[in-house]
Amino acid sequence: MNIIEIKNLKKDYLLGKTIVPALRGVDFVVEQGAFLSVIGPSGSGKTTLLNIIGCIDFATAGTVKVGDQEITSMNDRQVTDIRLHKIGFIFQTFNLIPVLDVEENVEFPLLLMRKHSRTETRKRARALIEAVGLNDYIRHKPAELSGGQRQRVAIARALVTKPDIVLADEPTANLDSVTGEQILTLMKAMNEKEKTTFIFSTHDHNVLKFAQKIVQLKDGLIVQNQ
Amino acid sequence: MELIFKIAWRNILRHKGKSLVIGVILFLGAYLMTIGNGVIAGMDKGISENIINSFMGHMVILAGKERSDNVLFKIYGKSVAPIYNFIQIKKVLQDDSDIKYFLPVGKNAALILNEDSDMGRAFLLGVDFKAYRQMFPDSFDIIEGRFPKENEHGVLIPAFARKECYDFMNIWLLPENGKVVESNLTPEAKENRKDLILKDQEVFMGARDDNATADVRVGIKGIIKYKALNAFWGHFMILDIESYREALGYFSAYEKGESVPRESQALLNLDNSNLENMFGESAVVVADKKREEIKSFKPAVRVNAAPLNLDAGAYNLVFIKLWNGADLEEKASLLNKKLKEKNLDVRVVTWKKGSGVIGSLAMIIKGILFGFVIFLFLVAVIIIVNTLSMAALERVPEIGMMRAVGAQKSFIRNMFVAETAVLAGIFGGLGIILGAVTVFVLPAFHITTQNDMLQLLYGGDVLNPILNAGDIFLAIGQLALVTVASVIYPVHIAKNITPLDAVVRD
Repeated sequence: MNIIEIKNLKKDYLLGKTIVPALRGVDFVVEQGAFLSVIGPSGSGKTTLLNIIGCIDFATAGTVKVGDQEITSMNDRQVTDIRLHKIGFIFQTFNLIPVLDVEENVEFPLLLMRKHSRTETRKRARALIEAVGLNDYIRHKPAELSGGQRQRVAIARALVTKPDIVLADEPTANLDSVTGEQILTLMKAMNEKEKTTFIFSTHDHNVLKFAQKIVQLKDGLIVQNQ
Repeated sequence: MELIFKIAWRNILRHKGKSLVIGVILFLGAYLMTIGNGVIAGMDKGISENIINSFMGHMVILAGKERSDNVLFKIYGKSVAPIYNFIQIKKVLQDDSDIKYFLPVGKNAALILNEDSDMGRAFLLGVDFKAYRQMFPDSFDIIEGRFPKENEHGVLIPAFARKECYDFMNIWLLPENGKVVESNLTPEAKENRKDLILKDQEVFMGARDDNATADVRVGIKGIIKYKALNAFWGHFMILDIESYREALGYFSAYEKGESVPRESQALLNLDNSNLENMFGESAVVVADKKREEIKSFKPAVRVNAAPLNLDAGAYNLVFIKLWNGADLEEKASLLNKKLKEKNLDVRVVTWKKGSGVIGSLAMIIKGILFGFVIFLFLVAVIIIVNTLSMAALERVPEIGMMRAVGAQKSFIRNMFVAETAVLAGIFGGLGIILGAVTVFVLPAFHITTQNDMLQLLYGGDVLNPILNAGDIFLAIGQLALVTVASVIYPVHIAKNITPLDAVVRD
């Protein structure tokens, strides 16, 4: 079953009076439970592709279906709702809420959903914190954590709502190789355990061994899909 | 909401410097507003009590043909219409159980004629001294001379009016047979002590729209000083009602008693050396007389064979004091109805309307203060907007990430509003509480003043600010307004931060 279907996706950016095409007609599908890596050199359109799938950027042309919903024609409120309920994000620079501790950061999306009890919220957050190995840091603020620990918090937060898809843009870019490998191992374990679809972009060939499927981009077009 | 307030509170603590700047501004605004409201409310109460207890009571009756309700401080020269039927009005007032006192008075402007210098101006209040003292027993102190005896002709000059007479006419007024009290001299009069022109009598000529007035010479019985708001009440020289009527050219009780036609009275009062005035349009107009002629005036001398019924003559106003607890507007309306039923061609207005701008003074000053506070808050809003906008721009990755993980724009808006509201609640609330404490503590210091301007602000001679629930709610409302006004633009910035902005920052 396809969780994502992309047809003729195009994205142009306007730089002054110049139109710069970032994606020039991308077609591909992602099956549910996939662990897919998007690779390519800088400027190839990896981040743009992930941003459009994640409903944080809008396509210039083409269609994107997430689950059974066509997202390119949705308004801001609707796409925000999709982000909350169907998509988890892991950013390159971790992006945690600085004034909340580890547990509160992980709970944050669940509290936004307003459909879980306090006990249920806490239980799910603690289970994921344990899964990412941060039990001893539960009351620590982001500033008191290392880069790897922050990324683990981000992974726990991305998974806490049980999304259909987790998008990770260069999740290991700011980590040393050992930590980066640990993070990908963790993501892979979550993928296998929760059957969550993971799509991550990278230009680090060392992490490709984790990917089940690889989509290679170049100049805004898919040049390899295996 | 718990999450929003948690984030808001921690952000306040995280950005202590900015929070403190915003907090101090809100604190000062709320503190000053609360104290200002207290002082103005005290002034309003003070002026109200002063006008009611010392000058005109709760309500005033005017002649039906009097155009303006504002009869106390009319433009100089615009006369107040006379009331000729006080005897009938009196019956209505006597039958009203809500009325504690009433006092018919003459009230108009007059010229002060002078053989030694230029003419002066005065406001005259014509009263029966005994009745006046009964209605306003404690309104002024006699600083020189004495209070007039019953039915005695004479005038009480306020110290304020005496100063004006000296400033404009260069004459220092004294009570009859009185001596200069050195301590009561103004600095200018002290400087000119040796050459002071002293007078213990005044010649008044009423100022009426139709010029049908006469001049009357009266002895000065005393110099008075109002206990508060001397700058207002000090304009009014208090004259016995009969002399007042004569000066204004009204029928006096004496004339009524003698049943002599008014024209004949005027002729009888003419001085022998001015017989040519008999052939003028008005036998009693003296506005263009030369000083030499004024010198020949004789004091009004009258022998009253029988007690006069003062009520029979003309008045201009009737001051009314009510028993406490009566509703003013309702009472005025009821009384108007009664007077109308009797076809008495008069109307009743409340002291606020009757005293014109003075009655609304508190409201005017409150408006000015409100404008000042709005200006202060506007400055505060600009500073807060700037600070919060900077904060929003600094927090783009954080806000963008929140949006990315599913926070709607409304969440971001509420987060900013909560941060400002918490600051406003803490610092503004502290300002209001401390302001209220200050207002409640200030009267204990019994701060008094003799300065006319300060007396105006105090609403009397003692600073006695008060604070009522309405003023506190007003301050809270203003704080809320500042909070809302301060967050509109920063919220606009924050709401427009997209998840993409956070990614681009990366």
